[in-house]
Amino acid sequence: MTKLVRDIMRKGLLTCLPDTSLGQVATLLTQHRVHALIVSKPTEAPLGVISDFDLLAGEWLSVDKESLTTMKSLTAGDLMTSPIDTVEADVPVKDAARTMLEKQVHRLMVIENHKPIGVISISDFVAGIARQTKANRETVRDVMSDAFLVCREKTPIISAARTMTQTHWRSALVVDARGKPKGVVTGRDLLQFVGSSVDEGLTVGDVMNPALTTIDINASLNEAANQMIQNHQHRLVVLDRNDPESFPLGIISSFDIVAEMARPGSIWQS
Amino acid sequence: MTSGSIGMGEQDQAEREKFENELKSILKACEGSGILLRVIGSLAFQLHCPEFGFLQAAMGRAYTDIDFGAYGSQSKQIQNLMTSLGYVENREVFIASEGERAIFDKAGTGLHVDVFYEKLDFCHTIYWKGRLEVDSPTIPLVELLLEKMQIVKINEKDVIDTIMLLLEHPLGDDDKETINIKRAAMLCSNDWGLWRTTTMNLGKVQQLAQGYDQLSPEQKSKVGSQVQGLIARIEQEPKPLAWRLRARVGDRVKWYKEVDEVQ
Repeated sequence: MTKLVRDIMRKGLLTCLPDTSLGQVATLLTQHRVHALIVSKPTEAPLGVISDFDLLAGEWLSVDKESLTTMKSLTAGDLMTSPIDTVEADVPVKDAARTMLEKQVHRLMVIENHKPIGVISISDFVAGIARQTKANRETVRDVMSDAFLVCREKTPIISAARTMTQTHWRSALVVDARGKPKGVVTGRDLLQFVGSSVDEGLTVGDVMNPALTTIDINASLNEAANQMIQNHQHRLVVLDRNDPESFPLGIISSFDIVAEMARPGSIWQS
Repeated sequence: MTSGSIGMGEQDQAEREKFENELKSILKACEGSGILLRVIGSLAFQLHCPEFGFLQAAMGRAYTDIDFGAYGSQSKQIQNLMTSLGYVENREVFIASEGERAIFDKAGTGLHVDVFYEKLDFCHTIYWKGRLEVDSPTIPLVELLLEKMQIVKINEKDVIDTIMLLLEHPLGDDDKETINIKRAAMLCSNDWGLWRTTTMNLGKVQQLAQGYDQLSPEQKSKVGSQVQGLIARIEQEPKPLAWRLRARVGDRVKWYKEVDEVQ
């Protein structure tokens, strides 16, 4: 039987008001362990969606005191994407995945009888999220994940997808026999196989993105946000610039930066 | 727009010829040397606009110096060239700018040469990489246009140069006596700040052109249609996520670097 969007969607909408501050949005995203909130006013139709990637603008553009003050004054309504891309609840999952690929979006609002009833995201297809908060989080070193998922180019796609789901990771670093990074495979790369049988011979090397963006472990979060936004990537491979040929030290994702923004005591919560 | 600024005022023909002849001497000395020294600024517009170049003098646009764009790897050769022509370098500028700019003066002549290495870095950055080979003896027309359009507090002299350029050259997708709008659109779609300033200034140029008595109604109309063509092409270019995200923040965060008046 064909799996429909309603079968795997996250029921209900996690929302925030348009005047919610970016710091508050970061807190909500972290508390609910989601990557986006629907922006809406009570009893009105949703206005837009704000994601962890949108919040990166806070770190990206806060290059001095003046811009930080301005960015802290912005709200979900200012940075949200509008209108929201939608999908009908009875659409096959495969079609929803294709829509996400075509529109280059990470989530769709699920509609039934012209009313929103849930959200479907890449995470629903592949994995959830799991991050541990640290006390001091100001640089890439403080925020990144030290432990991360690794596979080889020859790893079968089915195996990679299974491991990503079991470990709740949204991506895996692809390395060669000597541990040198060759690319990253993400949930987005696997979307094309949703709803269809996967050729057992297909490997991670066939679908991974070889365009790796790296960052030094001592770089600031502002630099990390800048790299992610400029390269339109949700994660960066963390290297030691003094020994760039060595095995990567970690992975930093957009969600890691948002978690820092949500941390009590961070500049975004003051 | 700033008026009454450097670069505006009456300048007699002899004074204009002094700058033009000196530029010819420098370019002649460059010939066969392998040095890519490309003219930018007012003299570049004059060189590239043989039909409408008269507007500079007619509108009170004066030469103040001779400006070039060049590659940093040739800075030593350029220093030797200028020394051989009787110029003395202000070495402090080169050191303070970390090799991005060199200023040469010719004693007793009032002549002053400014060389910008690798890029023009004022309100926004215009990089030379791969572009100095495209045209000669000036930088390509689209870079000439962007040299002016990247100035947030644009001056009358910059508006006059832009009007000349738009009257003289058609818009197109290459650089052969054409303003390469494909490149302008690409650069503006990669940088929201450059898009913001460029489109703002194009609007100003269109508006201010209507006020010049030196331009005929047809010429004013031509400037307008060229500006509209440029803006339409820039808007049509797909914008990446970074651009769209920056656009949502808009003018609330400063989108340009503060600089002193660009000469």
